Amino acid sequence: MKKYLAIFLLLIVGFYLIQAFNLVPFGANRVGNIDDESTVGAYYLKNTVPKTSVANVVTAIVVNYRGFDTLGEVTVLFLATTGLGSILFRKRKHGEEEERVLKESSQLVKIGSRLLFPFIALLGIYVFIHGHLTPGGGFQGGAIIATGFLLMLVAYKNYKLGHGALTWIESLAGITFAGIGIWGLITGGTFLENNAFPGLGNVNDLISGGVIPIIYIAVGFKVAAELTGVLDILLSIKPNKN
Amino acid sequence: MEILKYIGMGLVVIGAIFLFLGALGIYRMPDVYNRMQAGTKATTLGAIGLILGVGFMQPEWIIKTLIIIIFIAIANPLSSHALARAAYRNKQKPYMKNKVDAYEKVVYDNPENKKEEE
Repeated sequence: MKKYLAIFLLLIVGFYLIQAFNLVPFGANRVGNIDDESTVGAYYLKNTVPKTSVANVVTAIVVNYRGFDTLGEVTVLFLATTGLGSILFRKRKHGEEEERVLKESSQLVKIGSRLLFPFIALLGIYVFIHGHLTPGGGFQGGAIIATGFLLMLVAYKNYKLGHGALTWIESLAGITFAGIGIWGLITGGTFLENNAFPGLGNVNDLISGGVIPIIYIAVGFKVAAELTGVLDILLSIKPNKN
Repeated sequence: MEILKYIGMGLVVIGAIFLFLGALGIYRMPDVYNRMQAGTKATTLGAIGLILGVGFMQPEWIIKTLIIIIFIAIANPLSSHALARAAYRNKQKPYMKNKVDAYEKVVYDNPENKKEEE
């Protein structure tokens, strides 16, 4: 009886799947043809630069056309960090210092990583500030900054990260992202309305593209804080002695 | 400006030769440390020659190329140092035809490291 029920349900699902596939013309290229106005790719390529005045079309799609989706992605990253922290959390005795498993690095590595760290952080900040002009953006810039922190964590056994500061940065960045979205609603547009805030400006200016650069800067800070937190958690686990 | 272009070309060729020697060294050398030496020392010089050559060929890029060269000159020896140190501490033995292992005394006579081994 159960078997027949399963077959019946599968037939219903299959019927609607075939119906959905029948809506797409067989063999039609729905994405690649740039001259065909009705395809989504052509729409983005034609309208992104005049409508958002952002030179980097990918950024405009990620942050603006699909900004809601990006908000979800950032939330997923936050949840991943929280999950990792709650799984790998180790109860410490009172007064016990957190200790990393790595051995002490040599003096050369310590000094060298201290020399390189500001430049790595600068590169990361550059990447996410220019996210609307050049390839890269918030996620990439944040990852670069996190690698700088990884260098410091590997070099210094007792390198302390301010967990309070990390949490604050993460929360403020998240609030900025959601707040910009709600500001669009307040000013009478839609959620994450593009030209709600500083105005569109000229294409290829540093301050252009409405809320897109601000959102990407917030995303950059958020990703950097989250990935650094993940690295810190992973480096603080003690392996089992047995 | 023709001369600058030819200097740049010469530097690029030198860099390419050193990069090739580095690759050959990785293929031919007998143990971890020798391979690492080929893969980092030779490629440091090779990359610096290549990038400086590009800077000479396009004089407006020279400052950027100098910054990249400083970065490579710091980061490449540093990383090879850290890798070689980690390899030695994980008991990768050097090629014993050399018959000299000067680092052994430094590492294993140090009481801290003996404690770690237990």
